Amino acid sequence: MAALGTARCLFQSFYRVKDVQRIRKTLLKCNARTFCDETSVKEPAGGAKPRFTDAAVQDILTRITGLDLQKVFRPIKQEMKPPTYKLMTDEQLEQAIQFATEEAKKQLQMPPVLPERKPINDVLAVDKILDGMDTAKYVFTDITYSIPHRERFIVVREPDGTLRKATWEERDRLVQVYFPKRGRKLMPHVLFKEENLKIVFSQDRHEDVLNLCLVQFEPDSADYIRVHEATYEDLEKNGKYNLLRSTRHFGGLAWYLVNARRVDGLIADMLRRDMLQDAISLVSLFHMVHPHSESAQEATSQQATGTDLLKIYSQKESQRSGYIELALQAYEEKAAEGSAS
Amino acid sequence: MVHLSSHLLKKYHNGYVVIRLALAGHKQANRPFYRIVAAHNKRSRDGKYIEQLGSFDPLPNIYNEKLVGFNFDRIKYWIGCGAHLTKPVAKLLGLSGFFPLHPMTVTEAERRRAQAKLAETAAGTEDPQQEEQKQADV
Repeated sequence: MAALGTARCLFQSFYRVKDVQRIRKTLLKCNARTFCDETSVKEPAGGAKPRFTDAAVQDILTRITGLDLQKVFRPIKQEMKPPTYKLMTDEQLEQAIQFATEEAKKQLQMPPVLPERKPINDVLAVDKILDGMDTAKYVFTDITYSIPHRERFIVVREPDGTLRKATWEERDRLVQVYFPKRGRKLMPHVLFKEENLKIVFSQDRHEDVLNLCLVQFEPDSADYIRVHEATYEDLEKNGKYNLLRSTRHFGGLAWYLVNARRVDGLIADMLRRDMLQDAISLVSLFHMVHPHSESAQEATSQQATGTDLLKIYSQKESQRSGYIELALQAYEEKAAEGSAS
Repeated sequence: MVHLSSHLLKKYHNGYVVIRLALAGHKQANRPFYRIVAAHNKRSRDGKYIEQLGSFDPLPNIYNEKLVGFNFDRIKYWIGCGAHLTKPVAKLLGLSGFFPLHPMTVTEAERRRAQAKLAETAAGTEDPQQEEQKQADV
């Protein structure tokens, strides 16, 4: 009970209330840096699996993410500042809205999806003569300012004399010690443990969890992937896709579901909210990623577009085909009524 | 205007640049922290230095690690300029793999092992003696 109480206190004094602008800027900086760090072999050689970073894939994902200005710039708990009022002509208002759209697009940049990094097990030297030289390990870091963090030399001399390269966790921690990044802590937040994640999910705070995770962990670390998978699983189980709809994490969610072949819930949700175009692009993305599935082959043979794609998908692939077909029928009736009246 | 002090130091006083450990945070008792620093030889240990090249924390942290940071780029520059190294810095660089191992590190390790062995044998001979005494008392 006491643990629950303290956990609740922790989450209420959550980072949302602290200066949010700082965290927003950190998120933007994180994103730019990690995109640059990526290796850039991206063209799919005919028949190879399309990756997260392909232009076509990114295009579809940005389209289904949507751009709800009201949600992106929604009021967040900040320090109280008196509001500023500006008198604008219509032209200036349009320009301001354009500017806001571009800012929103920058804020909706998708964080990278990378495969999990392989552990480092490199031993540089084994010096048995040094056995028992000290009770503690010595960790040597290269503090040269102009090397990228991935290429830094971080080396550990164990008390038994072996000189080995530091593991990924040690590397992250030491880089944070010598080159601290805003928002990142040396020990990860208590939030990222399993039990605490469940509590936060029940409070519908998935977006906050993902933002914290993005700031704290590297995109290819095991913790980052674990937290993201847990969040996506929970969202999919409860069908709460709308929580992430106009945020930068929606692309990642869609990519994960498409790769796991469990897009039915998402399509059903989109049809319920009358987002037919999004549903069609999602199905086309599915066909791009799994070109050997039955529905993909049907679609290419029939050259189907629009609602036909959805029908083929619901017949061939989905487990909830009944629901999708019903929703399609309802949509078509509404469209017919709309055009009739 | 050429700075005369360094030329004077070199030629007249035969001073040189040294890479050594300087104690930082002298206001805190019992909590040493060293800066690895390039300074003139005759300066005081904690006084004005030319450049800081790293740090060394001699107390282990919660993960039982002693953290050492080296700016290898600048260390190479200063060694290229003819800086000398003190023994502790040479030992640390040897442990890090940048230099070959310092012979004193090996000697210290051997001495520690010898002491540990002595302590073991002492403990070993003490225990049987204590047991004998207890049995004698009983």
